[in-house]
Amino acid sequence: MVDLRLKCRAEVMSHLNSLFLGRSKVTMKSISDTVEGLVSDSSGVGTSQSGFIDAKQIDHAVKHAAHLLPSQGPITAFVHHNTLHALEDLKFGEAVKKGAKLFGCHPYLTEAQYREKLSVGRIRSEDLEAVLFDHLGAHADVLLGVLGTRLTLQKTILEYPLHDGPEVDLRWVIADSNALFTFRADTPESCRKKFISETRQWVMRDFPKDAQQSGQQTDKAQRLSSEIQTAVQQTMTLFPGRIESWSDRTWEAFGLHLQWRICEVGVSFCSGKPVQDWVPYRRVRDLLLQLTGEDSDELVHPLLIQFSAMFLDQGFSHWELPNRDLGFFESFLEMFAQKSFLGDPWRRGLSQHLMRLRGQNVTAMECIQQSLQSFGVSADEVDSFVEQKLLALRGFAGMIWQLEDQGNRVLKPMPKGSLLGFLAVRLLLEQYAVSFLAKRELNYAEKLAGLRSFCLLEIGRTEKPSSFAERNAFRVFEISQILGWSPKLMGRLSQGQWQVLVKEINAFCGVQRRQIYHLAFERKYRGQALDAIALHSKRLNQLRAKSESSVASEKNLKGLAGSKKQDGQSEAVAGKSTSTFQIICCIDDREESFRRYLEEIDPSCETYGAAGFFAVVMYFRGASDAFYSPLCPAVVTPTHYVRETAGTPFQKTATRRSRQRRAIGTVTQKVHVGSRTFAGGWFGTVALGTLATFPLVARVLFPRATAKLRDYFGGFVSPPEVTQVEYERTVDPPSDAEDHLGYSVSEMAGIVQRLLEDISLTKRLSRLVILCGHGSSSLNNPHESAYNCGACAGGRGGPNARVFSRMANDPRVRRELATRGIVIPDDTVFVGGYHNTCDDNVTFYELELLPTTHRKDFQHAWDVIHQARCENALERCRRFNSASLTMTPVEALQHVEARSEDLSQARPEYNHATNALCFVGRRQWSRGLYLDRRSFLQTYDPTKDDEVGTILNRILQAVIPVCAGINLEYYFSCVDHVGYGAGNKLPHNIVSLLGVMDGAASDLRPGLYRQMTEIHEPMRILFVIETKPEIMQRVIDQNPGIALLVKGQWVQLAVFNQEEATVKLYQDGEFLPYELQSDYLDVASSSSDWYRGWRDHLKFASIGKNFADFEKYAGNTRDRRDF
Amino acid sequence: MTEELFFHICGVVVVASPLLLIAILGIPPLIGRPLSEGTINRFTYAAVNFGLLAASLILIGMLVTGRRHVPIELGHWIELEELHFHFHLKFVFDRLSVPFVILTFLLCGTIGAFTSRYLHRESGYSRFYIAYALFMFGMIAATLAGTIEVLFFGWELVGLSSALLIAFFHERRSPVQNGLRAWCIYRIADAAFLIAAIWMHHLAGEGDFDVLMGRGAWPDGKATIAIAQAIPVGLLLIIAAAGKSALVPFSGWLPRAMEGPTSSSAIFYGALSVHLGAFLLLRISPLLELSLWLSGTVVVLGLATALFASFAGRVQADVKTALAFASLTQVGIIVAEIGLGFRYIALIHILGHAAVRTLQLLRAPTLLHDYKVLEDAIGGHMHESPSAISRVIPERWKRRWYLFFLERGYLDSILDQVFVRPFVVSFKAFDRWERRFTDFLSGDKLEETEEVQTRSEVVEELKY
Repeated sequence: MVDLRLKCRAEVMSHLNSLFLGRSKVTMKSISDTVEGLVSDSSGVGTSQSGFIDAKQIDHAVKHAAHLLPSQGPITAFVHHNTLHALEDLKFGEAVKKGAKLFGCHPYLTEAQYREKLSVGRIRSEDLEAVLFDHLGAHADVLLGVLGTRLTLQKTILEYPLHDGPEVDLRWVIADSNALFTFRADTPESCRKKFISETRQWVMRDFPKDAQQSGQQTDKAQRLSSEIQTAVQQTMTLFPGRIESWSDRTWEAFGLHLQWRICEVGVSFCSGKPVQDWVPYRRVRDLLLQLTGEDSDELVHPLLIQFSAMFLDQGFSHWELPNRDLGFFESFLEMFAQKSFLGDPWRRGLSQHLMRLRGQNVTAMECIQQSLQSFGVSADEVDSFVEQKLLALRGFAGMIWQLEDQGNRVLKPMPKGSLLGFLAVRLLLEQYAVSFLAKRELNYAEKLAGLRSFCLLEIGRTEKPSSFAERNAFRVFEISQILGWSPKLMGRLSQGQWQVLVKEINAFCGVQRRQIYHLAFERKYRGQALDAIALHSKRLNQLRAKSESSVASEKNLKGLAGSKKQDGQSEAVAGKSTSTFQIICCIDDREESFRRYLEEIDPSCETYGAAGFFAVVMYFRGASDAFYSPLCPAVVTPTHYVRETAGTPFQKTATRRSRQRRAIGTVTQKVHVGSRTFAGGWFGTVALGTLATFPLVARVLFPRATAKLRDYFGGFVSPPEVTQVEYERTVDPPSDAEDHLGYSVSEMAGIVQRLLEDISLTKRLSRLVILCGHGSSSLNNPHESAYNCGACAGGRGGPNARVFSRMANDPRVRRELATRGIVIPDDTVFVGGYHNTCDDNVTFYELELLPTTHRKDFQHAWDVIHQARCENALERCRRFNSASLTMTPVEALQHVEARSEDLSQARPEYNHATNALCFVGRRQWSRGLYLDRRSFLQTYDPTKDDEVGTILNRILQAVIPVCAGINLEYYFSCVDHVGYGAGNKLPHNIVSLLGVMDGAASDLRPGLYRQMTEIHEPMRILFVIETKPEIMQRVIDQNPGIALLVKGQWVQLAVFNQEEATVKLYQDGEFLPYELQSDYLDVASSSSDWYRGWRDHLKFASIGKNFADFEKYAGNTRDRRDF
Repeated sequence: MTEELFFHICGVVVVASPLLLIAILGIPPLIGRPLSEGTINRFTYAAVNFGLLAASLILIGMLVTGRRHVPIELGHWIELEELHFHFHLKFVFDRLSVPFVILTFLLCGTIGAFTSRYLHRESGYSRFYIAYALFMFGMIAATLAGTIEVLFFGWELVGLSSALLIAFFHERRSPVQNGLRAWCIYRIADAAFLIAAIWMHHLAGEGDFDVLMGRGAWPDGKATIAIAQAIPVGLLLIIAAAGKSALVPFSGWLPRAMEGPTSSSAIFYGALSVHLGAFLLLRISPLLELSLWLSGTVVVLGLATALFASFAGRVQADVKTALAFASLTQVGIIVAEIGLGFRYIALIHILGHAAVRTLQLLRAPTLLHDYKVLEDAIGGHMHESPSAISRVIPERWKRRWYLFFLERGYLDSILDQVFVRPFVVSFKAFDRWERRFTDFLSGDKLEETEEVQTRSEVVEELKY
């Protein structure tokens, strides 16, 4: 009793120990003195300039490490990109492993997550087998003695949930699961019987014989068999009663006990330690942490974070950091080289040190050199040392590097050399922190340079060698039950056989298992997708053949005269479109369902997909915007400027309203800033404070109504409804000056030609062609920009659609186009529009310019679009748990409208989550296929392209990198939302107007947050491109960027032949024919029929009444919707 | 229905509705039947609405009847004649507590609705609402308290739920550390409070505020105890208030408390919890008025906090910390107002400040959006005019001044070294002596407890 109490108390004390300040033997004063002594010692040496590491080498190391830092810029212009961009020259499988080691992040989902998928059938046993077979190649059939092949062994490990974990855990599992008394629940019946009968036979009859034979064996083998004999005998003593009268249950328990003992014995004859192929450079901090449980980063980071945040600040704080322009190191020096009597004990002496550095005019580089020397870093360790130090706070380091490297994107760019300065400061602080902890925790008072080896020595002395024996034994024990290896079989294994077995199991380590699971998971979806495309296409071809034959038979009936007339008609029709309207949307996966509904509601409309900047590369400034912002892919820098201004008759109103807006804005700003100050805050809260209750309650409880009210009042001061875009340039060169805005006529013709050619809309234009850009608006979302159009660098693509329409409607442009071979009929009108993917609102631009002749066409189009957006909202709502599954389309629209205005909504929309496919080809073969909003869709007609694929080449140059970037960012943020992603959104805190951190202080968090990716399924995107393999190969060869992605297996690639409905899959550098895995694709009469009542991912299906013929196979489709 | 009965029923509903909510939300998970999000919401709305309705009825009743002091007795629980000690549950509705109760219900209701969507699908959903219910009950009990014991009880609950919600995201380290830090400061405040409560009991024989602060309804009460005794009690209560309201020198925990979900940060550190210290001072204001020293201390403390926070807030680059300091600035001013005797102004100030700051904190993640809108309206970048302060301070002091506030006045570091370290050192010494003694008794060495290493999962796995 006393003992227990004492133990408890000791535990409490050790907790206190770690909570507050360390061991009491050393007084604080003496520690600080020594720390100061240690560090200044090294700097004293530093002046002699001897033994320093070359500045060039350090510079190189910093540049190399900078490459590995997160490359996300300011959050206000969020551009999706491959999180592991730095490792893109490796193959995907190797890169994720290297990434895991470098950044300490998950390479794949966890085993448990994959096993969950296995249990619900999202991974099938046949997928596992196929992938394993591919992966093992010639080694699949390697025989493991009497125990079967490697393939069976690995497949068993993957298919059955085997336990893996530390030994402490294991003992508990054995006791808890009754593992030594009953078989695993998933042991096959035949194996149970075999196991028991063989055990009985062996123990009662053969065992005594075996025991006699063992006399003639070698030394070691003899020891093995004698130990197994003892094991058998000992186990037998555990079970009372006459052996003949044992029941089956006793035999079961006995057999399992015996098996466990045998496994323990057998494994103990093997050296089971897995090989560690990669030893990372371990910082002194890591060693100290392992040794003492104290983290020096916890001392260094708060200060470094606070200072970096102030240094990066783009205008949030009222009081700017003094001397910011000097650079990170210099500014730090100026600030902290001041006498300070207070401050944390660990950095006592730092200010004197800094004053000395300032006195000697030491540069950041010299300071790093000194620090490297005092850490005792040798020249060949510099690279990994610097890498580790910069990666330790990689969010801030990355942002500093981004702003230093590409400073044009922000208001206050970084001075050059800031990252170097950051490193210098970090090393300085770390010296103090590490020495302080070493002194306090380990009583280490020598030079810092020796600390590393001291720690290594200490660790070697105290660390218990971890044993894997029990862990391996349990693995063998579990596998033996499933595969029916009885104690008889196991008891007779030789030492060599045991070794092979254990080695085999160890070699199939966690990462490898997860890799196989992942490949199997991808394989299943890939198979389903390719099957769906091929089968759907076949159906379409059949339907077409049928309708053609019926037309032909009609012709025959009517006779020759009639057919002549009809031929003439159809020729005339060939130049004209029969569709009611054509709409060009972004290739974005979120537009997939929108387009599907447009086609479902009006089967005679046509939809196209093109990158959402519509070939208009520009800086744009809206009528109520303060600045120009780029609207084009992030890799392009625009040279043209376009401005929106109030329509000529409304100029006066516009000026007046902009004055009013400015007045309101100024007052709001004063209130905003003032509320945080002393006097302003007093006035604001005493006099007006209680009034804040109204907006507070209204905003939270009635978000949609409040937004409507705000818009109503906002309407009085917003720019006039009728505005113009200044898109035509009269004076060269293009710039943002008056008259230099916009494009010349031939530039416009080039833009229009480019887009129309890309999507092969050079003929058969309908009377109305709508361009629909997209973006997203949501409140309470620092990542708002990440939801916008990826092709517009996180901007909203409406203006691009608008400007393009103006260009395409311009008669001069049309004349110029006609000379280039593209004839736009006189009665074709282009209209620009904007789709808000969050609240599913669609607006149109410059309808006042719409000719009266086209009003009816537009009215029809608008009716269709309105209905489509309601349906689209409904389909999106099935994914939101908080939305009812029984809503009507109009209710769904209201629901998503409220979502976008809701301050408390962490999931305004799901953005690109679930993206997995990208189709490049004619819409005709994907039309009517249910893609579940998972596919990017780019329109491209191979029949209109030349033999070398010129058009395809330029399309893919944009499509592959952009879609792969989005897909891979989702992949990494999803497999490890803490390490690669931005973690949980809820504690996010905007810092420096550049990014977010968790809670009160943490590293900057680049990547996507968890709520954004929670329904995503991490898999590499599958491109299905309608072209010939040779052409695709050419494109790959011509574009190194694409080659890197495709050959490095960062994306999956297939080419598709529509006429034959066949697919060729890109594997190891060549296109191999893909064999269909199934022969049936589901059919549903409408999209809503297919998804209704379902929240989870859905299978592919042919959607439409015309597929009814194929429905005869279909049984109860409801159960088969889920994968 | 008699007037008394009406007030009694309403009063009981006000107190009981949050209490019932704790039971309803807290018990099912204990017996392994966690509630769904929808159920939690419905009960929360019901509790808040009933409470709010009853409180409003009481307000109307008070206005109609003209009564300004409505005590609700819920029985004598302990009566020790020979020790002159008695304890009874008593709640008082008066001009101070009624606005506070209504504000509490109003803000809690709003935050409850906000959080129901904000924390949707979060694993700690039910945990949040249990802490939230604890908090609401704590606030109601503390504000309505008619005796110092009840006030202390509510005060404790507020502190507990507050620390739990700071550490809400307990899978990361820093929320837990910062929650612990806030908890430690609260304990100091609680200790001061407890001593004061015992002392007052000793003086008056009971903890009822009417006895201590005079019979008049708030704010007209006149304290009846002697000045010499009022000063130490008053000082202790001021320490308690300073800890709870993060006044200097305890200010360090407030910005660190911004670790929880935005909604709990808003209600705790923008609105209610942070004002609880000020509320205590308002409640005992008759006591403070007895002595110029006491009121002087309060004024100085308030102004020092306000000045410190207003400067420190200017050198923060993240929105939540800046709002925490902005909040603290106003709390400092409120405390100064109380010290100066402006009770009504302080009350109005608290109500207004709570509403404004809650709204601001809830909108904190919209900052970038709001900046864009403002910049568009103004037609240029938001130029921060070099604030009045940087104009006032002489050039040669600026750097020093800046550093001082960048380091947040070294307050945490001073607390660590002056209070925490001696405590830890002495306790460790006791630990050592005890070990030696038990070793001596048992004759062999006591085993040290095994330390569990925490390592990242991935690194662990990739080794193999």
